Amino acid sequence: MPPSRRSRPTLPPSLEFEAIGTRWQVDSAEALEPELVLAMHERIARFDATWSRFRDDSLVRRIAREPGSWRLPADAPPLLDLYRRLYVATDGAVSPLVGRSLEVLGYDAAYSLRPSGPARPAPAWEDAVRWDGSTLTAVRPVMIDIGAAGKGYLVDLVGELLVAGGATGVVVDASGDLRRWDAAPGYRVALEHPADPTKAIGVIELGGRAICASATNRRAWGNGLHHVLDATTGLPTSRVIATWAIAPTALVADGCATALFFADADRIAEEFGVQFVRVHSTGRVEFSPDLDGEMFL
Amino acid sequence: MRTLTDSKTAIAFAAGLTLVGALAGCSTTTSPTDDTTDATMPDTTEETSSPTDTTDSGDATYADGTYSATGQYQSPNGTETLDVTITLQDDIITDVQVVGEGTNPNTIRYQGEFIGGIAAIVVGKDIDEISVSKVAGSSLASGGFNAAVETIKADAAA
Repeated sequence: MPPSRRSRPTLPPSLEFEAIGTRWQVDSAEALEPELVLAMHERIARFDATWSRFRDDSLVRRIAREPGSWRLPADAPPLLDLYRRLYVATDGAVSPLVGRSLEVLGYDAAYSLRPSGPARPAPAWEDAVRWDGSTLTAVRPVMIDIGAAGKGYLVDLVGELLVAGGATGVVVDASGDLRRWDAAPGYRVALEHPADPTKAIGVIELGGRAICASATNRRAWGNGLHHVLDATTGLPTSRVIATWAIAPTALVADGCATALFFADADRIAEEFGVQFVRVHSTGRVEFSPDLDGEMFL
Repeated sequence: MRTLTDSKTAIAFAAGLTLVGALAGCSTTTSPTDDTTDATMPDTTEETSSPTDTTDSGDATYADGTYSATGQYQSPNGTETLDVTITLQDDIITDVQVVGEGTNPNTIRYQGEFIGGIAAIVVGKDIDEISVSKVAGSSLASGGFNAAVETIKADAAA
Protein backbone atom coordinates (compact mmCIF):
# COMPACT_ATOMS: atom_id res chain seq x y z
CA MET A 1 0.00 0.00 0.00
CA PRO A 2 1.43 3.41 -0.94
CA PRO A 3 1.94 6.06 1.73
CA SER A 4 -0.81 8.59 1.98
CA ARG A 5 -0.13 11.67 -0.13
CA ARG A 6 -0.20 15.01 1.62
CA SER A 7 0.89 18.45 0.59
CA ARG A 8 3.19 18.95 3.58
CA PRO A 9 6.92 18.38 3.30
CA THR A 10 6.85 15.70 6.00
CA LEU A 11 4.11 13.45 7.27
CA PRO A 12 2.46 14.18 10.62
CA PRO A 13 3.55 12.38 13.80
CA SER A 14 0.51 10.11 13.65
CA LEU A 15 0.26 8.09 10.50
CA GLU A 16 -2.77 5.99 9.72
CA PHE A 17 -3.12 3.46 6.96
CA GLU A 18 -4.60 0.09 6.13
CA ALA A 19 -2.35 -2.93 5.56
CA ILE A 20 -2.60 -6.72 5.76
CA GLY A 21 -6.35 -6.44 6.21
CA THR A 22 -6.39 -4.18 9.25
CA ARG A 23 -6.05 -0.59 10.40
CA TRP A 24 -2.63 0.71 11.48
CA GLN A 25 -1.59 3.79 13.43
CA VAL A 26 2.06 4.73 13.85
CA ASP A 27 2.89 7.51 16.31
CA SER A 28 6.30 9.14 16.75
CA ALA A 29 7.80 12.09 18.58
CA GLU A 30 8.73 13.83 15.34
CA ALA A 31 7.17 13.48 11.92
CA LEU A 32 8.60 10.47 10.10
CA GLU A 33 10.78 11.19 7.12
CA PRO A 34 9.04 10.24 3.86
CA GLU A 35 11.87 7.85 2.98
CA LEU A 36 11.31 6.04 6.24
CA VAL A 37 7.58 5.81 5.60
CA LEU A 38 8.30 4.40 2.18
CA ALA A 39 10.71 1.84 3.63
CA MET A 40 8.06 0.85 6.17
CA HIS A 41 5.48 0.20 3.48
CA GLU A 42 8.00 -1.79 1.47
CA ARG A 43 8.75 -3.89 4.54
CA ILE A 44 5.06 -4.58 5.09
CA ALA A 45 4.64 -5.51 1.43
CA ARG A 46 7.57 -7.92 1.63
CA PHE A 47 6.10 -9.57 4.73
CA ASP A 48 2.75 -9.90 2.99
CA ALA A 49 4.36 -11.44 -0.10
CA THR A 50 5.89 -14.14 2.07
CA TRP A 51 3.20 -14.91 4.58
CA SER A 52 -0.23 -13.96 3.23
CA ARG A 53 -2.51 -16.93 2.94
CA PHE A 54 -4.84 -14.69 0.95
CA ARG A 55 -2.68 -14.04 -2.11
CA ASP A 56 -1.99 -16.61 -4.74
CA ASP A 57 1.61 -15.52 -5.34
CA SER A 58 2.71 -15.66 -1.70
CA LEU A 59 5.41 -18.03 -0.51
CA VAL A 60 3.04 -19.87 1.83
CA ARG A 61 0.61 -20.53 -1.02
CA ARG A 62 3.48 -21.84 -3.15
CA ILE A 63 4.54 -24.15 -0.33
CA ALA A 64 0.94 -25.36 -0.11
CA ARG A 65 1.01 -26.24 -3.81
CA GLU A 66 4.51 -27.68 -3.93
CA PRO A 67 5.69 -29.67 -0.92
CA GLY A 68 9.42 -30.02 -0.58
CA SER A 69 12.27 -28.06 0.97
CA TRP A 70 11.98 -24.29 1.06
CA ARG A 71 14.63 -21.94 2.34
CA LEU A 72 12.63 -19.27 4.14
CA PRO A 73 13.43 -15.55 4.30
CA ALA A 74 15.38 -14.06 7.19
CA ASP A 75 12.27 -13.01 9.08
CA ALA A 76 11.06 -16.62 9.35
CA PRO A 77 13.19 -18.09 12.17
CA PRO A 78 11.91 -15.96 15.09
CA LEU A 79 8.34 -16.55 13.95
CA LEU A 80 8.56 -20.29 13.41
CA ASP A 81 10.67 -20.80 16.53
CA LEU A 82 7.98 -19.07 18.58
CA TYR A 83 5.31 -21.14 16.84
CA ARG A 84 7.16 -24.31 17.80
CA ARG A 85 7.16 -23.23 21.46
CA LEU A 86 3.46 -22.29 21.28
CA TYR A 87 2.68 -25.64 19.69
CA VAL A 88 4.37 -27.48 22.54
CA ALA A 89 2.91 -25.24 25.28
CA THR A 90 -0.66 -25.70 23.99
CA ASP A 91 -0.36 -29.42 23.22
CA GLY A 92 -0.80 -28.72 19.53
CA ALA A 93 -3.78 -26.35 19.73
CA VAL A 94 -1.75 -23.41 18.35
CA SER A 95 -0.15 -24.48 15.07
CA PRO A 96 1.06 -22.74 11.93
CA LEU A 97 -0.45 -25.62 9.94
CA VAL A 98 -4.03 -24.54 10.56
CA GLY A 99 -4.55 -22.87 7.17
CA ARG A 100 -6.65 -25.63 5.62
CA SER A 101 -8.77 -25.86 8.77
CA LEU A 102 -9.59 -22.16 8.41
CA GLU A 103 -10.33 -22.56 4.70
CA VAL A 104 -12.73 -25.43 5.35
CA LEU A 105 -14.68 -23.21 7.73
CA GLY A 106 -14.88 -20.49 5.09
CA TYR A 107 -12.06 -18.18 6.22
CA ASP A 108 -10.40 -18.36 2.83
CA ALA A 109 -8.81 -16.04 0.32
CA ALA A 110 -12.19 -15.17 -1.18
CA TYR A 111 -13.77 -14.61 2.27
CA SER A 112 -16.44 -17.10 1.24
CA LEU A 113 -17.32 -17.44 4.95
CA ARG A 114 -19.22 -20.60 4.20
CA PRO A 115 -18.05 -23.92 5.56
CA SER A 116 -17.14 -26.22 2.68
CA GLY A 117 -17.00 -29.39 4.75
CA PRO A 118 -16.64 -30.79 8.23
CA ALA A 119 -14.06 -29.29 10.57
CA ARG A 120 -10.62 -30.48 9.72
CA PRO A 121 -7.82 -30.79 12.29
CA ALA A 122 -4.43 -29.45 11.27
CA PRO A 123 -1.80 -32.11 10.61
CA ALA A 124 0.54 -32.82 13.49
CA TRP A 125 3.76 -30.81 13.17
CA GLU A 126 6.01 -33.87 13.14
CA ASP A 127 3.90 -35.60 10.50
CA ALA A 128 3.87 -32.70 8.07
CA VAL A 129 6.96 -30.52 8.29
CA ARG A 130 10.59 -30.32 9.33
CA TRP A 131 11.99 -26.97 10.42
CA ASP A 132 15.73 -26.77 10.99
CA GLY A 133 15.92 -23.05 11.72
CA SER A 134 16.31 -21.90 8.13
CA THR A 135 14.77 -24.48 5.82
CA LEU A 136 11.22 -25.74 5.99
CA THR A 137 10.58 -29.16 4.52
CA ALA A 138 6.95 -29.99 3.87
CA VAL A 139 6.56 -33.73 3.46
CA ARG A 140 3.02 -33.19 2.26
CA PRO A 141 0.97 -30.17 1.15
CA VAL A 142 0.47 -27.82 4.12
CA MET A 143 -1.24 -24.45 4.23
CA ILE A 144 0.73 -22.33 6.66
CA ASP A 145 -1.25 -19.70 8.51
CA ILE A 146 0.56 -17.33 10.85
CA GLY A 147 -2.58 -15.62 12.12
CA ALA A 148 -1.75 -16.46 15.74
CA ALA A 149 1.42 -14.35 15.88
CA GLY A 150 2.13 -12.82 12.48
CA LYS A 151 0.53 -9.43 12.97
CA GLY A 152 2.34 -8.87 16.24
CA TYR A 153 5.59 -9.88 14.57
CA LEU A 154 5.02 -7.35 11.82
CA VAL A 155 4.42 -4.67 14.48
CA ASP A 156 7.90 -5.51 15.83
CA LEU A 157 9.49 -5.41 12.38
CA VAL A 158 7.88 -2.09 11.49
CA GLY A 159 8.79 -0.43 14.78
CA GLU A 160 12.36 -1.72 14.72
CA LEU A 161 12.78 -0.38 11.19
CA LEU A 162 11.52 3.04 12.26
CA VAL A 163 13.72 3.15 15.37
CA ALA A 164 16.75 2.05 13.35
CA GLY A 165 15.94 4.87 10.94
CA GLY A 166 16.14 7.44 13.71
CA ALA A 167 12.52 7.76 14.84
CA THR A 168 11.84 8.26 18.55
CA GLY A 169 8.80 7.82 20.76
CA VAL A 170 7.50 5.22 18.35
CA VAL A 171 4.19 3.47 19.01
CA VAL A 172 2.96 0.99 16.43
CA ASP A 173 -0.69 0.02 16.77
CA ALA A 174 -2.01 -2.55 14.31
CA SER A 175 -5.52 -2.67 15.75
CA GLY A 176 -5.25 -5.07 18.62
CA ASP A 177 -1.48 -5.48 18.52
CA LEU A 178 0.45 -2.58 19.97
CA ARG A 179 4.06 -1.96 20.92
CA ARG A 180 5.77 1.13 22.28
CA TRP A 181 9.47 1.96 21.90
CA ASP A 182 9.57 4.38 24.82
CA ALA A 183 9.67 3.30 28.45
CA ALA A 184 8.44 6.61 29.91
CA PRO A 185 5.67 5.93 32.47
CA GLY A 186 2.12 7.18 32.12
CA TYR A 187 1.19 5.39 28.93
CA ARG A 188 -2.05 3.66 29.83
CA VAL A 189 -3.85 1.22 27.61
CA ALA A 190 -7.50 0.33 28.18
CA LEU A 191 -8.64 -3.25 27.75
CA GLU A 192 -11.75 -3.09 25.62
CA HIS A 193 -14.76 -4.94 27.02
CA PRO A 194 -15.34 -7.92 24.70
CA ALA A 195 -19.09 -7.33 24.69
CA ASP A 196 -19.16 -3.52 24.71
CA PRO A 197 -16.55 -1.41 22.88
CA THR A 198 -17.56 1.67 24.85
CA LYS A 199 -16.33 0.05 28.05
CA ALA A 200 -12.99 -1.05 29.42
CA ILE A 201 -12.50 -3.96 31.77
CA GLY A 202 -9.16 -2.64 32.99
CA VAL A 203 -6.19 -0.43 32.31
CA ILE A 204 -2.56 -1.46 31.79
CA GLU A 205 0.51 0.65 32.37
CA LEU A 206 2.39 -0.32 29.24
CA GLY A 207 5.85 1.20 29.60
CA GLY A 208 8.12 0.15 26.73
CA ARG A 209 6.39 -3.13 26.01
CA ALA A 210 3.83 -4.69 23.73
CA ILE A 211 0.22 -5.61 24.41
CA CYS A 212 -1.75 -7.80 22.08
CA ALA A 213 -5.47 -8.52 22.26
CA SER A 214 -7.42 -11.32 20.76
CA ALA A 215 -11.13 -11.97 20.82
CA THR A 216 -13.57 -14.21 19.07
CA ASN A 217 -16.28 -11.60 18.53
CA ARG A 218 -14.62 -9.91 15.58
CA ARG A 219 -13.75 -11.87 12.47
CA ALA A 220 -16.68 -14.08 13.32
CA TRP A 221 -19.18 -15.22 10.76
CA GLY A 222 -22.09 -16.83 12.53
CA ASN A 223 -23.00 -20.18 14.07
CA GLY A 224 -20.05 -20.04 16.42
CA LEU A 225 -17.63 -19.70 13.53
CA HIS A 226 -14.65 -17.44 14.09
CA HIS A 227 -10.95 -17.37 13.41
CA VAL A 228 -9.50 -18.75 16.65
CA LEU A 229 -9.29 -22.47 15.96
CA ASP A 230 -8.02 -25.34 18.03
CA ALA A 231 -5.65 -26.95 15.54
CA THR A 232 -6.16 -30.38 17.09
CA THR A 233 -9.85 -30.35 16.21
CA GLY A 234 -10.17 -27.69 13.53
CA LEU A 235 -13.04 -26.19 15.51
CA PRO A 236 -13.41 -22.64 16.82
CA THR A 237 -12.78 -22.41 20.54
CA SER A 238 -15.56 -21.25 22.84
CA ARG A 239 -14.50 -21.38 26.49
CA VAL A 240 -12.46 -18.17 26.37
CA ILE A 241 -13.79 -15.15 24.48
CA ALA A 242 -11.05 -12.54 24.91
CA THR A 243 -7.37 -12.47 25.85
CA TRP A 244 -4.58 -9.95 26.32
CA ALA A 245 -0.89 -10.65 26.72
CA ILE A 246 1.81 -8.15 27.67
CA ALA A 247 5.41 -8.95 26.71
CA PRO A 248 8.63 -7.24 25.63
CA THR A 249 7.84 -7.96 21.98
CA ALA A 250 4.58 -7.98 20.04
CA LEU A 251 5.57 -11.32 18.49
CA VAL A 252 5.51 -13.01 21.88
CA ALA A 253 2.49 -11.02 23.10
CA ASP A 254 0.45 -11.87 20.00
CA GLY A 255 1.35 -15.56 20.08
CA CYS A 256 0.57 -15.78 23.79
CA ALA A 257 -2.74 -13.94 23.36
CA THR A 258 -3.72 -16.79 21.03
CA ALA A 259 -2.28 -19.50 23.28
CA LEU A 260 -4.32 -18.16 26.20
CA PHE A 261 -7.45 -19.44 24.48
CA PHE A 262 -6.19 -22.99 24.82
CA ALA A 263 -3.72 -23.48 27.64
CA ASP A 264 -3.43 -22.98 31.35
CA ALA A 265 -2.71 -19.27 31.77
CA ASP A 266 -0.08 -19.87 34.44
CA ARG A 267 1.75 -22.19 32.11
CA ILE A 268 1.80 -19.63 29.33
CA ALA A 269 2.83 -16.83 31.70
CA GLU A 270 5.69 -18.87 33.07
CA GLU A 271 6.90 -20.34 29.78
CA PHE A 272 6.88 -17.05 27.88
CA GLY A 273 7.33 -14.48 30.65
CA VAL A 274 4.14 -12.60 29.87
CA GLN A 275 1.44 -10.89 31.90
CA PHE A 276 -2.09 -11.77 30.88
CA VAL A 277 -5.79 -11.03 31.18
CA ARG A 278 -8.47 -13.29 29.84
CA VAL A 279 -12.27 -13.38 29.87
CA HIS A 280 -14.11 -16.68 29.89
CA SER A 281 -17.38 -17.18 28.04
CA THR A 282 -19.07 -17.07 31.46
CA GLY A 283 -17.95 -13.47 31.91
CA ARG A 284 -15.39 -14.48 34.49
CA VAL A 285 -12.05 -12.73 34.24
CA GLU A 286 -8.63 -14.04 35.10
CA PHE A 287 -5.40 -12.04 35.21
CA SER A 288 -1.77 -12.12 36.29
CA PRO A 289 -1.14 -11.48 39.96
CA ASP A 290 1.72 -9.19 38.91
CA LEU A 291 -0.28 -7.26 36.32
CA ASP A 292 0.93 -3.68 35.88
CA GLY A 293 -2.46 -2.12 35.91
CA GLU A 294 -5.94 -2.16 37.33
CA MET A 295 -8.93 -4.37 36.63
CA PHE A 296 -12.47 -3.01 36.95
CA LEU A 297 -14.17 -5.87 38.76
CA MET B 1 -5.26 -15.83 40.79
CA ARG B 2 -7.16 -18.86 39.70
CA THR B 3 -6.76 -20.83 36.61
CA LEU B 4 -9.55 -22.53 34.76
CA THR B 5 -8.47 -24.49 31.79
CA ASP B 6 -8.98 -28.13 32.51
CA SER B 7 -11.99 -29.64 30.82
CA LYS B 8 -13.17 -30.88 34.20
CA THR B 9 -13.38 -27.29 35.29
CA ALA B 10 -15.35 -26.37 32.24
CA ILE B 11 -17.88 -29.02 33.08
CA ALA B 12 -18.18 -27.77 36.61
CA PHE B 13 -18.55 -24.26 35.34
CA ALA B 14 -21.21 -25.03 32.79
CA ALA B 15 -23.23 -27.04 35.25
CA GLY B 16 -22.97 -24.37 37.90
CA LEU B 17 -24.06 -21.58 35.63
CA THR B 18 -26.91 -23.56 34.26
CA LEU B 19 -27.96 -24.12 37.81
CA VAL B 20 -28.03 -20.42 38.54
CA GLY B 21 -30.01 -19.92 35.36
CA ALA B 22 -32.44 -22.59 36.42
CA LEU B 23 -32.93 -20.92 39.76
CA ALA B 24 -33.42 -17.51 38.31
CA GLY B 25 -35.89 -18.83 35.82
CA CYS B 26 -37.66 -21.27 38.06
CA SER B 27 -40.74 -19.38 38.94
CA THR B 28 -42.60 -17.40 36.37
CA THR B 29 -45.48 -17.70 38.80
CA THR B 30 -43.38 -15.89 41.41
CA SER B 31 -43.67 -18.93 43.61
CA PRO B 32 -40.14 -19.73 44.66
CA THR B 33 -41.12 -23.16 45.85
CA ASP B 34 -41.95 -24.30 42.33
CA ASP B 35 -40.27 -27.41 41.20
CA THR B 36 -37.30 -26.69 38.96
CA THR B 37 -37.08 -29.98 37.14
CA ASP B 38 -38.34 -28.40 33.93
CA ALA B 39 -35.39 -26.03 33.83
CA THR B 40 -32.33 -26.49 31.69
CA MET B 41 -30.13 -28.37 34.12
CA PRO B 42 -28.59 -31.28 32.29
CA ASP B 43 -28.98 -33.47 35.32
CA THR B 44 -31.19 -33.29 38.36
CA THR B 45 -32.00 -30.16 40.23
CA GLU B 46 -33.85 -30.30 43.50
CA GLU B 47 -35.19 -27.45 45.50
CA THR B 48 -33.92 -28.13 48.97
CA SER B 49 -35.09 -25.13 50.92
CA SER B 50 -37.75 -22.49 50.72
CA PRO B 51 -37.11 -18.83 50.31
CA THR B 52 -36.75 -16.80 53.40
CA ASP B 53 -37.82 -13.28 53.92
CA THR B 54 -40.03 -13.12 50.86
CA THR B 55 -41.53 -9.75 50.13
CA ASP B 56 -43.36 -8.20 47.22
CA SER B 57 -41.42 -5.64 45.31
CA GLY B 58 -43.38 -3.73 42.74
CA ASP B 59 -42.99 -4.96 39.17
CA ALA B 60 -40.31 -7.54 39.86
CA THR B 61 -40.85 -10.80 38.04
CA TYR B 62 -39.50 -12.83 40.92
CA ALA B 63 -40.23 -12.49 44.58
CA ASP B 64 -37.39 -11.07 46.62
CA GLY B 65 -35.71 -13.57 48.85
CA THR B 66 -33.07 -16.17 49.24
CA TYR B 67 -33.29 -19.26 47.08
CA SER B 68 -31.35 -22.45 47.46
CA ALA B 69 -30.96 -25.47 45.27
CA THR B 70 -28.72 -28.44 44.87
CA GLY B 71 -27.34 -29.25 41.47
CA GLN B 72 -25.58 -32.33 40.27
CA TYR B 73 -23.29 -32.71 37.32
CA GLN B 74 -21.16 -35.41 35.83
CA SER B 75 -17.42 -34.94 36.08
CA PRO B 76 -14.64 -37.36 35.22
CA ASN B 77 -14.64 -38.16 38.94
CA GLY B 78 -18.29 -39.21 38.90
CA THR B 79 -21.42 -37.39 39.98
CA GLU B 80 -20.64 -34.21 41.89
CA THR B 81 -22.92 -31.95 43.85
CA LEU B 82 -23.02 -28.21 44.34
CA ASP B 83 -25.31 -26.27 46.66
CA VAL B 84 -26.16 -22.83 45.35
CA THR B 85 -27.88 -20.06 47.24
CA ILE B 86 -28.82 -16.82 45.56
CA THR B 87 -30.36 -13.69 46.95
CA LEU B 88 -32.76 -11.80 44.73
CA GLN B 89 -33.86 -8.23 45.13
CA ASP B 90 -35.94 -6.52 42.47
CA ASP B 91 -35.01 -9.25 39.99
CA ILE B 92 -31.31 -8.64 40.54
CA ILE B 93 -29.05 -11.26 42.03
CA THR B 94 -27.41 -9.48 44.93
CA ASP B 95 -25.51 -12.42 46.35
CA VAL B 96 -24.43 -15.86 45.24
CA GLN B 97 -23.09 -18.55 47.50
CA VAL B 98 -21.90 -21.87 46.20
CA VAL B 99 -20.87 -24.76 48.38
CA GLY B 100 -19.23 -27.80 46.90
CA GLU B 101 -19.56 -31.25 48.33
CA GLY B 102 -16.77 -32.90 46.43
CA THR B 103 -14.55 -35.45 48.06
CA ASN B 104 -12.14 -36.11 45.21
CA PRO B 105 -9.08 -33.82 45.48
CA ASN B 106 -9.51 -32.64 41.90
CA THR B 107 -13.16 -31.91 42.48
CA ILE B 108 -12.37 -29.91 45.58
CA ARG B 109 -9.76 -27.96 43.70
CA TYR B 110 -11.94 -27.15 40.72
CA GLN B 111 -15.03 -26.49 42.75
CA GLY B 112 -12.91 -24.19 44.88
CA GLU B 113 -11.86 -22.26 41.83
CA PHE B 114 -15.41 -22.10 40.60
CA ILE B 115 -16.80 -21.08 43.95
CA GLY B 116 -14.17 -18.44 44.45
CA GLY B 117 -14.57 -17.02 41.00
CA ILE B 118 -18.25 -16.84 40.42
CA ALA B 119 -18.56 -13.30 41.71
CA ALA B 120 -15.58 -12.06 39.72
CA ILE B 121 -17.69 -11.19 36.72
CA VAL B 122 -16.10 -8.25 35.03
CA VAL B 123 -18.05 -5.02 35.30
CA GLY B 124 -16.03 -2.49 33.35
CA LYS B 125 -15.97 1.29 33.16
CA ASP B 126 -16.86 3.67 30.38
CA ILE B 127 -13.77 4.31 28.32
CA ASP B 128 -14.78 7.97 28.14
CA GLU B 129 -14.40 8.19 31.90
CA ILE B 130 -10.86 6.87 32.19
CA SER B 131 -7.73 8.54 30.95
CA VAL B 132 -5.87 6.31 28.51
CA SER B 133 -3.51 6.64 25.59
CA LYS B 134 -4.82 3.65 23.67
CA VAL B 135 -7.51 1.03 23.69
CA ALA B 136 -6.51 -2.58 23.09
CA GLY B 137 -9.43 -4.54 21.75
CA SER B 138 -9.80 -7.31 19.30
CA SER B 139 -8.50 -6.60 15.86
CA LEU B 140 -10.92 -4.66 13.73
CA ALA B 141 -11.72 -6.72 10.72
CA SER B 142 -10.97 -5.32 7.30
CA GLY B 143 -13.55 -3.83 5.02
CA GLY B 144 -13.43 -6.90 2.82
CA PHE B 145 -14.20 -9.21 5.67
CA ASN B 146 -17.05 -7.05 6.91
CA ALA B 147 -18.50 -6.78 3.43
CA ALA B 148 -18.42 -10.55 3.09
CA VAL B 149 -20.26 -10.96 6.38
CA GLU B 150 -22.92 -8.52 5.19
CA THR B 151 -23.29 -10.55 2.00
CA ILE B 152 -23.91 -13.82 3.76
CA LYS B 153 -26.36 -12.10 6.11
CA ALA B 154 -28.25 -10.76 3.11
CA ASP B 155 -28.24 -14.19 1.49
CA ALA B 156 -29.55 -15.73 4.68
CA ALA B 157 -32.40 -13.22 4.77
CA ALA B 158 -33.31 -13.67 1.12
